Amino acid sequence: MKKLKLIVNDVVYELETRPERRLLDVLRDELHLTGTKEGCSEGECGACTVLIDGKPADSCLVLVGQVDGCHITTIEGLSDGNELHTLQQAFIKAGAVQCGYCTPGMILSAKAVLDQNPNPSEEEIRKGLSGNLCRCTGYQKIVDAVRLAAGELSAKTGKGGGN
Amino acid sequence: MSEFSIVGKRAERKDVRSKVLGKALYAGDLYRPGMLHGKALRSEYPHARIISIDTSRAEKLPGVHAVMTHKDIPGINRFGLAILDQPVLADDKVRRMGDAVALVAAETVEIAEEAIRLIKVEYEELPAYFTVEAALAEDALPIHEGGNLLQHTKLRKGNVEEGFAQSDIIVENVYQTQRVDHAYIEPETSVAELDHEGNLTVWSSTQYPFRDRRQIAPVVNMPSNKVRVIQMTTGGAFGGKDDITTEIQAALLAVKTGRPVKVVWSRQESMVCSTKRHPMKIFIKTGATRDGMLMAMEGKIYSDKGAYCSIGHFITKKAGLHLSGPYHIPHIKVDTYAVYTNNTICGPYRGFGILQASFAHESQMDLLAEKLGMSPLEIRLKNALKVGLSNATGQVFEHSVGFYETLKRAEEYMKTHPLEGGVE
Ligand code: FES
Ligand code: FES
Repeated sequence: MKKLKLIVNDVVYELETRPERRLLDVLRDELHLTGTKEGCSEGECGACTVLIDGKPADSCLVLVGQVDGCHITTIEGLSDGNELHTLQQAFIKAGAVQCGYCTPGMILSAKAVLDQNPNPSEEEIRKGLSGNLCRCTGYQKIVDAVRLAAGELSAKTGKGGGN
Repeated sequence: MSEFSIVGKRAERKDVRSKVLGKALYAGDLYRPGMLHGKALRSEYPHARIISIDTSRAEKLPGVHAVMTHKDIPGINRFGLAILDQPVLADDKVRRMGDAVALVAAETVEIAEEAIRLIKVEYEELPAYFTVEAALAEDALPIHEGGNLLQHTKLRKGNVEEGFAQSDIIVENVYQTQRVDHAYIEPETSVAELDHEGNLTVWSSTQYPFRDRRQIAPVVNMPSNKVRVIQMTTGGAFGGKDDITTEIQAALLAVKTGRPVKVVWSRQESMVCSTKRHPMKIFIKTGATRDGMLMAMEGKIYSDKGAYCSIGHFITKKAGLHLSGPYHIPHIKVDTYAVYTNNTICGPYRGFGILQASFAHESQMDLLAEKLGMSPLEIRLKNALKVGLSNATGQVFEHSVGFYETLKRAEEYMKTHPLEGGVE
């Protein structure tokens, strides 16, 4: 057991846990943030994607001891109360959600793409989402959703033109 | 076209908000007070007799609450969607890699996995059959008591000999399809719990709560009205969660321990233990006249069931019923054979056998077109089923068949949207 500090969705958690536990398990079992999903347990499907200090990572491959003191963003941290994040709205509008199991991971990977480049090309979007598998929706509508969100975000901030 | 209130309009899924928020509850998102974790020991052999199972070391491991073998099942040790041919926990023998042999419920997944490793099973290996030919060989041991041929179906329409005699060209081939996994992103998951009145609830990632209940109740030896199955938001299924997966394992352990139990299959278990699309070997002979009219089709389909039926006998039969495709053929003879092997179990997967049949009949159409110097579209338009024509089972369509119009619309569209790289 070890004392660790995680800042998850801007909330500071002081935890006593085994540092070799997977970040995924700590988020789900200890912090009850079950929006982060497990699909393959080996870094293939991306369902467990979270942002660690803004960068996307498969939380099934991260030991919690490695992220002591880090800022973690999970799907629960994207909306502002009941106010959906632009990406969440865009996924709804574009019909990019079917079973929804891949959705939290997809949205976080998409956020990482847009945070880095507010006006990505289709290829850059596809590359940014290449670590996330979806078996229901197919990828076109998901890519459309990210494009839609990019356009709306840049319209909001007045930066970039969207495409 | 008349206006519909929903069809043709954008509609928001009812559950989509909770899904983008990460709030939708899947079975694995349930955490019940005092919940234990269940794991199964899986067979290491595709076909073997079980001589003995020693669970003593596993039982002594701290944190283990229950270790179960077939002897500990309160009710019947069989389940199956259509035929009760699948043991919950292997008794006399295992019939494929991945048959469950024992179950453990423990405080954590890690302890359950450790306990599984401590169970010793002594096997006597039996010859295993991995192809339909091997399973149907005369000297093959029966995988099930009734033998390895689970079902033979016959479809006869008209007189194929006559049909082939009237044909100017005959194309004959063998097509083989492979086993495919559904690979839904959410693995199979159930949580089961007994309440204070002895009612059993199973929350599951499933497709059919009532069929699950029908199969769970006799195994836990409870009347159906004491068993409740709740389908949680399900992370993809595509037919793969039609069958029982984790439901009975969680239910048995919950009944045994009196504690809530969660069972989540690993991705590997999902690959090895869940149903797959049937590999089929399809022998097909198609005859047509010089001007491309189909006259006769004769086919034989051998479908690899794997070790258990699921509803694969229907699927195999259905592949046969659809082997003529969406075309009018006056003379048809098709035989299908559903064969038990020691492979992974096969069951429903989008299309129910029609996909395998399509691969064969559409390939035949292309080859016929090529040999007749006709375009692939033309030969399909000529033979498309229409109102007034009969399908393979002799059913005459009286109201509408959209195939011909669909082909015409596709033709128009393709004229203005050529495929990248072109088509031959
Ligand atoms: S569960 Fe982490 S990548 Fe699939
Ligand atoms: S919506 Fe089901 S996996 Fe993407």
